Amino acid sequence: MITAQRLTKKFGIFLAVDSVDFEIGKGQVVGFLGPNGAGKTTTIRMICGYLRPSEGRVLVDGHDMAVEPRRGQRQIGYLPESAPLYTEMRVEEYLAFRAKLFGVPRRTRARAIGEAVGRCSLGEVRKRPISQLSKGYRQRVGLAAALVHQPPILILDEPTSGLDPTQIRELRGLIRELAGNHTILLSTHNLAEVELTCDQVIIFARGQVRAAGTIDQLRTEAAGESRYIVECDATGAPKVLKALPGVGSVESLGGEGTWQRFTVTAHNGSQDLREAIAKAIAQTGGSVRELHREAPSLERLFMRILEEPT
Amino acid sequence: MSAVRAIAGRELRAFFLTPGGYVIAALYMLVNGWLFVRYIFNPGEVATLRPIFTFSMLAFMLICPAVTMRMISEELRLGTLETLLTSPVRSAEIIFGKYLAALGFLAILLAPTLVFVVALEVYGRPDYGELACGYLGVLFAGSVYLASGILASTLTASQVVAYLITVLFWIIVLLGTKGLLQTDVLPVAWQERVGDVVIAADPTMRLVDFAIGLFDSAHVVYFASLTLVLLIAAVGFLETRRWR
Repeated sequence: MITAQRLTKKFGIFLAVDSVDFEIGKGQVVGFLGPNGAGKTTTIRMICGYLRPSEGRVLVDGHDMAVEPRRGQRQIGYLPESAPLYTEMRVEEYLAFRAKLFGVPRRTRARAIGEAVGRCSLGEVRKRPISQLSKGYRQRVGLAAALVHQPPILILDEPTSGLDPTQIRELRGLIRELAGNHTILLSTHNLAEVELTCDQVIIFARGQVRAAGTIDQLRTEAAGESRYIVECDATGAPKVLKALPGVGSVESLGGEGTWQRFTVTAHNGSQDLREAIAKAIAQTGGSVRELHREAPSLERLFMRILEEPT
Repeated sequence: MSAVRAIAGRELRAFFLTPGGYVIAALYMLVNGWLFVRYIFNPGEVATLRPIFTFSMLAFMLICPAVTMRMISEELRLGTLETLLTSPVRSAEIIFGKYLAALGFLAILLAPTLVFVVALEVYGRPDYGELACGYLGVLFAGSVYLASGILASTLTASQVVAYLITVLFWIIVLLGTKGLLQTDVLPVAWQERVGDVVIAADPTMRLVDFAIGLFDSAHVVYFASLTLVLLIAAVGFLETRRWR
């Protein structure tokens, strides 16, 4: 649905986005992850046709945004960061205005507005002026405005910034609901948000894409090594575990009585060692009380990418 | 076209949802009312609205920039311009919609003066050709002031700066043309040729013609094309926002 090819944006001599390539398929929920100033918002603005790329191009649903921007824009529902709204308007008026801008025909307009209002639970405030609404409601009005022309693509720039924990949970729930029949691109500097809402991640740092893939792919890549926690009562356990193929180190975590805990670290790319560990312990005549593989965290990868020199 | 209507409608409503519009309208009507009872509505006076037309042409120089100053600047400052420019709408449609809304506001401002026309009809025999010509002149004057105000508004996120740019521009144009014609600053050899250009560029003489009921199609072409040029420039500057 969205393709970026060597996408570049320079502001004067500052290179905000540096030759970025990515492809977002239909129905995917993709997160742009990166610290502030990494080029996420600039990239999003180029996708939505707010900024023209200095080099490279963006295709939205096959439409080159430099050639036929309005075709592409019709496919996109965009919620900019901080949800800018005309605060003197009433919620319903604003949604009607946006529907007209996107050419929603008069016949279906009322229904489209009703659906957007329902989706974003704005029923109670639909007649209220936007200036009287709280930040959380405003964010939802912005989202409803992005949805009102029923676009196949939703682009949300930092949708949860400035919201309280309850509002964040509600908004994430709503995004997951919408994921079913939309292609969603959201940006965030919050890792947990990506893990909770997205199935694909594109990691930005200093204007470049540093990593991209599904959450699971990145997790494995992130791990660099896999770690297992074993608790057993075999006396020769460290030696036995160390002898398993792929195992790098075995560390004792102490224990109580005859039960001892170990951390087993294996090289990346080695198979899941859980069965092998259980068998090896059993062969020594000992028993296993606990055995699990630690889920590798994205955070480690994220931190490593941020620390990498350009 | 429906986008133009939507933008114009939103802008026009915004005037009446903020106090600024009412303040401008009240002041303008107050002065008009005074002009009417003091200079027009007297026994033996000619049944004309010339004082009101002349005043309006001048007053619009200050009113129009106030009407247009927020049009793009405010959207820039609040970030709503991003939602407009990411909608499937041409920059020209945005500018034209806003121009129409501003012109509509001027029409609403002028509408109450029709009461004066009724009064003239009841107590005298007004020349409707002259009146129509006067209204047309006032609207043309407003049209170029509005177009220049919208252009200034695309240049800055500050409403005050947008207002000042517009007003100063027109003060310089009006004083400059008078100054060039009435003082002897130009080299003698140039006086005739440059003088012709300055006279042609000066809107005041043309507006005086409209106010006294002298309809000249050259004036119509002048104001229509000046409006168009200013609006096209505004579209151009709005478009360059995408390149920054």
